Amino acid sequence: MAAYEVMYIVNPNLEEENVNAVVERFNNLIADQGGKVEEVDLWGKRRLAYEINKFKEGYYVVVNFQGDAKVVNELQRVMKISDDVIRFLLLSKEDK
Amino acid sequence: MKRKGRRPRKRVCSFCVDKVEAIDYKDIGRLRKYITERGKIIPRRISGNCAKHQRQLTVAIKRARNIALLPFTAE
Ligand SMILES: [Zn+2]
Repeated sequence: MAAYEVMYIVNPNLEEENVNAVVERFNNLIADQGGKVEEVDLWGKRRLAYEINKFKEGYYVVVNFQGDAKVVNELQRVMKISDDVIRFLLLSKEDK
Repeated sequence: MKRKGRRPRKRVCSFCVDKVEAIDYKDIGRLRKYITERGKIIPRRISGNCAKHQRQLTVAIKRARNIALLPFTAE
């Protein structure tokens, strides 16, 4: 397993409590695939530096986790198709 | 003979001064100091950054742009 960090932007039209549910869903996905969530940082609602699909703001979330390629691939696959996530950035902590 | 015009600025890499190991794309407050009003990355001959940190800075700024923490260059 290796250390990863994913930052993602949750759809700003969701209620705060639904945002928490989205975050929990992704955390569970990581755990279900055999990974381990180490730190979750909720930045809250922020203005985007530029519009993404007509959205001007979004909830920023940063999650640090341990995982292998299987975890990473599944997380990427689901985030790409999710309507709740408007953008994400997944990095290996080794890529400095 | 005295040199005319502006004195060459002393080149000090602020990341070296602060002993920064790795520049974090999440450190937007700091990254902002190295982009122009139009969002362009300030070259190191102006910022005074060392090559190593300028390279890291460029990567960090590009990541921050991707996730909409920083703007892309205004056309
Ligand atoms: Zn330096």
